[in-house]
Amino acid sequence: MAMIECRQLSKTYRKGASIIKPLDSLDLDVEQGSFLALMGPSGSGKTTLLNLIAGIDQPTSGSLTIAGQNIAALSRSKLASWRAKHVGYVFQLYNLVPVLTAYENVELPMLLHPLSRKQRHERVGTALSLVGLADRHDHYPRQLSGGQEQRVAIARAIVTDPQIIVADEPTGDLDKPSAHAVMSLLVRLNQELGKTLIMVTHDAATAEHAGLTLHLDKGQLVEQSVTAAFSGETATTHADEGGDA
Amino acid sequence: MRRLPFDYAARNLGRSPLRLSISVVGSVLVVVLAISAYAFVRGMDRSLVGSGSPNNVILLGAGSEESIERSEISTSVASQVQATIPGLKSQAGQAYVSPEVHAALAVSIEKDAEPIGQAVFRGVTPAAFSVHPQVRMIEGRTPQTGADELLVGQLASARLGLSGDRLAVGQQLWIDDRPFTIVGRFAAPNTVMNAEVWVPLTSIQTLTRREGISCVVLTLGDAEFADVDLFVKSRVDLELAAIMETEYYDQLSAFYQPVKMMVWITALLIGAGGLLGGLNTMYAAFASRIREVGTLQSLGYSRRAIVISFLQESLLAAATGAVLGSLISLALLDGISIRFSMGAFGLLVDAPTIGFGIAIGLLLGVIGSIPPALRCLRLPIAEALKAN
Ligand SMILES: Nc1ncnc2c1ncn2[C@@H]1O[C@H](COP(=O)(O)OP(=O)(O)OP(=O)(O)O)[C@@H](O)[C@H]1O
Ligand SMILES: [Mg+2]
Repeated sequence: MAMIECRQLSKTYRKGASIIKPLDSLDLDVEQGSFLALMGPSGSGKTTLLNLIAGIDQPTSGSLTIAGQNIAALSRSKLASWRAKHVGYVFQLYNLVPVLTAYENVELPMLLHPLSRKQRHERVGTALSLVGLADRHDHYPRQLSGGQEQRVAIARAIVTDPQIIVADEPTGDLDKPSAHAVMSLLVRLNQELGKTLIMVTHDAATAEHAGLTLHLDKGQLVEQSVTAAFSGETATTHADEGGDA
Repeated sequence: MRRLPFDYAARNLGRSPLRLSISVVGSVLVVVLAISAYAFVRGMDRSLVGSGSPNNVILLGAGSEESIERSEISTSVASQVQATIPGLKSQAGQAYVSPEVHAALAVSIEKDAEPIGQAVFRGVTPAAFSVHPQVRMIEGRTPQTGADELLVGQLASARLGLSGDRLAVGQQLWIDDRPFTIVGRFAAPNTVMNAEVWVPLTSIQTLTRREGISCVVLTLGDAEFADVDLFVKSRVDLELAAIMETEYYDQLSAFYQPVKMMVWITALLIGAGGLLGGLNTMYAAFASRIREVGTLQSLGYSRRAIVISFLQESLLAAATGAVLGSLISLALLDGISIRFSMGAFGLLVDAPTIGFGIAIGLLLGVIGSIPPALRCLRLPIAEALKAN
């Protein structure tokens, strides 16, 4: 069974008479431990799909099964605790809490878990070391560079040890060297820690880091490409079977 | 449910020093306002309620039950009561029966000068000190029967708008072009008497050219109210009415209900204005954090956890304001005297008043933060993450 299974997944917005379908009957399987890049034109539904998988949005119809659980059926509060356990989200604009230090930002998701202060301390330390910011515990976001902020955000996404990491254009706001540092970090999360990683990007070179790239257009999967460096298929699409015209 | 760290709430306050000061100052104003209003109402109530002794009965003219000042009865009532009703309280052969004249008289501070105002005068005999145990001499001596001498209550100067020195022992006041010398001062805390001027009964009778008296105040010993009432009913010729002193002042307190309502309504209106202003700053503050709130939710924090954190933040500012407001109230309001037709009373700033003010301040913190917090959480997370 795949880690993530989308079946006939749709998201619809109704505004008066017009209907917008950011996601249209999408079928997708993502295997555990795979690194998937999502590409596509602006407005094609990438963020929408990512949000559904991260459990911060709910589909209008269809099912979304993650690690055997249909999260489309969860109540809002159940979904909140599900998120705390199963996903880490990395945003384009980092979204660190400005009044908290790097340490406290990383600690934030851990406060939702029954851990002692000492356990938390160890894990925050490990996460910040992993992203190379062990010496920045007490710095506030405004005292960090964009690249460093994004690395703190990655530490925050992994500190609770979720199985899935989603990232929405994580290098979109960074200069080349910082983007490179962030990407190699994400690759390590996937390869060394075995995290299932789904990343939205506009940049083909960035997508190269992923094992598989899916292209979205108008809420549907249109194309997939397996990166040469990777062997074996880690995600399959059912777009051709499920396509209703 | 897991909570956000308290530090988050506390540090959020520091995000905008301007907003923090507006919140705190707003809270201070509301708390001072609430304390003033409550101190006024309680001070007024206390002075009226404290004026009556539970064992005292007032005999006054039938039909004048609402106002002693309008009552007129025969001077002989006092001796008749003493002779007829058995079981009244007495000490050393002296019965607790006090014939009194109550009158508001214009007072001048110099001969031939325009009066500076009216004070409530009480013409008394030595028995007045027995039936009104709240009255305590604090300076000087009691006036001599028939002499043009005065005793002034602690708040009499406040009632007349004079400095305390002007009513010191030895000073003179002019009433109807007759000089009266102040020979003593008394305290009757939390009663209307505290703002009165006491004169020998016969002096005030001469002064006001009246034969009779306003009322007789007596203290029940073994006798009961029914005994006094029986006397009143059997002596129809005297045209008397009997009323418990406490009941008389309760009535008076009810009479001032509209004044108290006005005070509350004024406080409420100003407070509501303050609340709207406070809501506005809170809306602005929370609205600027919509994306952050979306992020917290994406991490797994519940909406309730976020509302509680915002509530803590608001309460922290409100509590700071409430403490400051209480200290300011204690410093500024305590001891202030308010004049009113019955004399004067002191604002009552005590633990319940302060507690009330703090409660109002905190309540404002709650009311002022919940709607903005809910509004901030109205957007679905996916949309909140796109904010700014
Ligand atoms: N709350 C909403 N109400 C109405 N339409 C929405 C809403 N959210 C998204 N959409 C629409 O859904 C479509 C897909 O949006 P989405 O954010 O998923 O695009 P995207 O592929 O991430 O684009 P980009 O590359 O610009 O980030 C867009 O047409 C957008 O206008
Ligand atoms: Mg997007």
